[in-house]
Amino acid sequence: MKSELYEVWGDTVDGRHLMYSIAIGAVVSLGAFYAAQYLFVGWVANEQMARAYAMLVGIVGCLVGGAISARLFKPKRHVVEHQADPAWRAQVLIELQSEFGDLGKMSDLPPETIAELKEMDLFDLFDDREKAAATPAKTADKQVLEPVMPIRANGGHS
Amino acid sequence: MMAPLLEQILIALGMGVLGAVIFAGIGLISGSDETTTLAPLTLLVVLLGVPAPGVLTFFLAGAVAKHMTHAVPTALLGIPGDTLATPLMREANFLRNLGVPHVALRKMISGAVIAALIAVPMAVLFAVMLAPFGDTIKHAAPWVFLVAAIAIAWFSKGRLAAVLTLIPFVMVIVGLQSITGQYGVKLSVSYFLGIAIGPLIAALFSMLAPAERETMRRQEMRTFSLSPDVKSWGGFFPNPLKVLDRNQSMWTAMTAAISSATFVFSPVAMTVIMGELVGSRVRHVYHRLTTVIAARNGVTEATYIAEALIPLIAFGLPLSPVAAGPAAPLFNAPPRFSVDSATGQVNNLHSLLGTWEFLGYGLLAVIVAILVAYPFTMNYAHRAASYVSRKISHEAVISTFVGLILVIGIWEGAALGLLVIVTVGLMGGFLSRFLGFNIGVQFMGYYTAVLSVPALVALLGH
Repeated sequence: MKSELYEVWGDTVDGRHLMYSIAIGAVVSLGAFYAAQYLFVGWVANEQMARAYAMLVGIVGCLVGGAISARLFKPKRHVVEHQADPAWRAQVLIELQSEFGDLGKMSDLPPETIAELKEMDLFDLFDDREKAAATPAKTADKQVLEPVMPIRANGGHS
Repeated sequence: MMAPLLEQILIALGMGVLGAVIFAGIGLISGSDETTTLAPLTLLVVLLGVPAPGVLTFFLAGAVAKHMTHAVPTALLGIPGDTLATPLMREANFLRNLGVPHVALRKMISGAVIAALIAVPMAVLFAVMLAPFGDTIKHAAPWVFLVAAIAIAWFSKGRLAAVLTLIPFVMVIVGLQSITGQYGVKLSVSYFLGIAIGPLIAALFSMLAPAERETMRRQEMRTFSLSPDVKSWGGFFPNPLKVLDRNQSMWTAMTAAISSATFVFSPVAMTVIMGELVGSRVRHVYHRLTTVIAARNGVTEATYIAEALIPLIAFGLPLSPVAAGPAAPLFNAPPRFSVDSATGQVNNLHSLLGTWEFLGYGLLAVIVAILVAYPFTMNYAHRAASYVSRKISHEAVISTFVGLILVIGIWEGAALGLLVIVTVGLMGGFLSRFLGFNIGVQFMGYYTAVLSVPALVALLGH
């Protein structure tokens, strides 16, 4: 069976769900607007104000329509809680180097940032990299790919 | 005398809180563009007759709050929170992959706080310096808009294509206006909304064309990896100057000040340029990532505030990309606010508020937004991102916007209003996608049609 998933306006939707959602949004918002207009034009003396209030009710109708669609149709997204794994962090350093060239020296950093890196368990990662970069290139790559410190469950404090 | 002033301040405060709360929520929804959300809701506030200070605080507090909470999807989910968050993606993704997205988030919003506080007085100062030229510019308004439209088109992605596309685009708008004019209907909001929401209209039409539909088809759902929750400070309200180190605060303040002055450039361009400026001066890569992300998010705040406030205070004419786009209802919202092309007569917040009021209410709006959005983002970012990505389907977001198109179109001009939104939206959406004729240029195209074309016709007629 062919997939009914489409990428529309920056995210994935189900084609049929989208059709129903649009119909619901149209009916609820316009229904609210016309009903409000019918009521307010009788009540409020100034017609322009009556129509402005009707528009406000219509916009509330848009939100109600959206809420109904949100209830009926679940998001088409996989949300996974993920923890960056240590091997990946080493990979990021290599990407950073290819993006920016030189990664810089720890001695350039103000004390606040050194403290921040330590709390984040990132100090050793950058420090090792810098030391490795000082020694010949071959051993450097090997050292970097070794797993770095395990990440604490709470990700460090600051 | 005191009682009315107090009343005005209370209204301004209330509207500021309302704007901050609404847009702090909207900022969490990824991909919610500033123009599509800020412009229609601000317009609504104007048309409902809210006093001038309330209109200003609603808009400013909304913009400031949105540019703080847009950090949540950007940092935690790896998807840009809105258009202005896109230049922050590279730094945000590196920090996320290093396992410290919470650092990215905290640096971003702390930068936003500092920049927003600096931008208001800076913007007022620059506006006062420019004000002496205000009258000249007002009288030359039709020509100024023509030049501005060409300049903004040239600096867009489309370059020469965008400049040349202005001609047919303006023709279509002039044509639509004369058609609706035959039925005695004069529209403006419908054009704004059509332009702002064009990309969605273009996408929905594409869905109906079999070939395009195939290219949009996806085999599986998108996967979002949400980073784990980390609360790493005591108390409810952290101090932004402690979250950023001294260097970072300084860079953020400096770039905010610079970008407050350059109000005629696109906010996205300023965000990119200022980031590069800072990045080239910070040596260590981790420090560079965190400094650049703080400064860039600061610039998103500063450009928005300055680009709305400077033209508003100095000229009363929407002469910047923000003023022509998201802030458009502050300048032009008939029947309440209007800009007369022929006489240069301006009737909007420019004529309703004095310079000191702009400064006072501007600061009030920024402070309200900070008090609402900063602790909210610092404390509930993870829960909010999780809720939005798991509970609010994209179908629901689209349904809401389709409702908005229908209600606003029918409210302004019945069937004609709706037809104008769809026509302008479809055309603008595709022009933006294929030629880089972006939303800012389209807004300028609209102003060219309304202001410059009558002057051109008069000139050529004689």
